[in-house]
Amino acid sequence: MNSKSFLQNIHNTQDEEISCSECFDLTSQFVELELTIGIHEIKMPHLRQHLNQCSACREEYETLRDLVRLENEGEILSVDDLKNLIP
Amino acid sequence: MMTSMRTNEEWLYALRASDGTQDAAIGDLRNLLFRAVLFFFSRNLADFRGLARNEILQLAEDCTQEALIAVMNHISDFRGDSKFTTWAYKFAINKALMAARRERWKGISLEALSFISSDALVEWAMQDRSPVPSSDRSMMQAEVIEVIRDVIEHELTEKQRRVLIMMVFNEVPMDEVVRHLGTNRNAIYKMLHDARRKLKTSLQARGFEVAEMLALFSISR
Repeated sequence: MNSKSFLQNIHNTQDEEISCSECFDLTSQFVELELTIGIHEIKMPHLRQHLNQCSACREEYETLRDLVRLENEGEILSVDDLKNLIP
Repeated sequence: MMTSMRTNEEWLYALRASDGTQDAAIGDLRNLLFRAVLFFFSRNLADFRGLARNEILQLAEDCTQEALIAVMNHISDFRGDSKFTTWAYKFAINKALMAARRERWKGISLEALSFISSDALVEWAMQDRSPVPSSDRSMMQAEVIEVIRDVIEHELTEKQRRVLIMMVFNEVPMDEVVRHLGTNRNAIYKMLHDARRKLKTSLQARGFEVAEMLALFSISR
């Protein structure tokens, strides 16, 4: 992490923040809302805050969002096609 | 039944059934989880540079099995606020991410990455100094860095300091820190949160307002 990002994280630090487990519980709902009504309409500030602070949870959320979006659009690759991407 | 045709209720019923219905549902779920694991792997191929193709595919199978067990163990936690499959994918992605990071960091000593010298800390901070330096700004920036260094060295607990140095300065992934310290994500996140709070409080107590700090490091808000 560079110092700018770290300062941003310090700046965004709240007295109370949700844990990674709480984040995990909420992400599937968040992703579906994001893909339905758009991210700016979602009122889940504690989850957003955690995702901004925690790169592990953020990466899982981004992967889930992309996977579900592709699935909804019928664009997700099959198991065989995904296997073929492994070198 | 086609997996895409199952409602949440049908998934739950089938996965809890005690006949062939359950076997079919578990088979379908396994395929979906396997696809989610492969999806993650395909986006993170650099993590597997040391592995042959068959080893990567075996790892994907192992993650799938772990995810399937996790889903079945947590099935009573599913509240129905998303599709069942969206909820289940989280377990596959979580197992895949942990496996990928473990592979990438295999053989690297995290103990050595738990410490940072004062000089290295200053060097890290100065990489992002303002592109338009002035003597006033450089002086303030140096003061901010000095406060951060002082808090890290004197106000954090030993564990907070080690976790902060590993994750912030040396970019060790969360799950590798978790494995190294034999703990869990929640505990590591709490340590980092406490460390950030101390840093924020100390910077404010010494008169550094956030907007001022961000401008020093040229962050657009």
